Amino acid sequence: MEEKINEGLTTIFREVFSEPKLTITNEMSSKDVDKWDSLAHLIMLKEVEAHFQITFKIREMAGIQNVGDLIKIIESKLNDNQ
Amino acid sequence: MEDYTLRYALLKDIAFLVETIIEAEKSGTDTLSYTTIFGLTQRQTVEALTRILEEEIDGCELSLSSFMIAEKDGKIAAAVGAWIEGNEGVSSTAIKGSLLAHVLPLDAVRKSSQIANVISELHMEVEKGVIQIGLVYVDENHRGKNLTQLLINQHITNSKAKSEALTQVHVQVFGNNIPAIRAYEKFGFKKMKEVRSLSEVITDYLPYHTKIAMMLNI
Repeated sequence: MEEKINEGLTTIFREVFSEPKLTITNEMSSKDVDKWDSLAHLIMLKEVEAHFQITFKIREMAGIQNVGDLIKIIESKLNDNQ
Repeated sequence: MEDYTLRYALLKDIAFLVETIIEAEKSGTDTLSYTTIFGLTQRQTVEALTRILEEEIDGCELSLSSFMIAEKDGKIAAAVGAWIEGNEGVSSTAIKGSLLAHVLPLDAVRKSSQIANVISELHMEVEKGVIQIGLVYVDENHRGKNLTQLLINQHITNSKAKSEALTQVHVQVFGNNIPAIRAYEKFGFKKMKEVRSLSEVITDYLPYHTKIAMMLNI
């Protein structure tokens, strides 16, 4: 499942942040990517929800410090859906 | 100073705070980014901002807890938002994006993705550990009374009480907002950085094509 999440996120991040060669890491956050502003963050979250067919709660989203946190939440939601 | 009371905003103040956010976003123009970027009507914008403030999520310009207000005779005269950046480990960029994701539908967000690259040209990431001034609005009947400065001073006092290590206050303003820039300079703020968009369409979506970051040592 980890690979599936990484693949999906990489595709979304490359598209949203307009960086075709971007490689995601667990520590990556808005301070690491030039085009990662609040609008890009919003688009990224909505595309993640659409891609993985999940819905985030506001307090889940507001607690995401970096990509690693995002992966954990996606993983837990996909596990719940199984 | 006349008899103004300064206090943190409460849920009952949300209507004024929505007006604050809308007027501050417009920066003296008629361009409201929530309408131009997401295609929301004025009413939908008010509803979305109301829902966001009601969530009471801290740490960004759309957080109820960030606002201090000045009140006179039971009526609100001014509001100034400020927070300590990254205090809970999450950037204000991420918190604001999350709050918007919570209230905006996917189709409105996808509409915005067409111009996201243009909008991001004016983005300046806020520095962790500074007091960041967010949105500012003074009711027109109460202007010229230094309410912004009073509220910023109160924010600084309250923030320093939480953490003595705080040494800087930052603010970002659109380049067209000369009265605000002058007022911050008078207050002791210095220009730190300026970003400029060369896109011809930027002012279709945002009030101006430049944004200035200023700082004050405290």
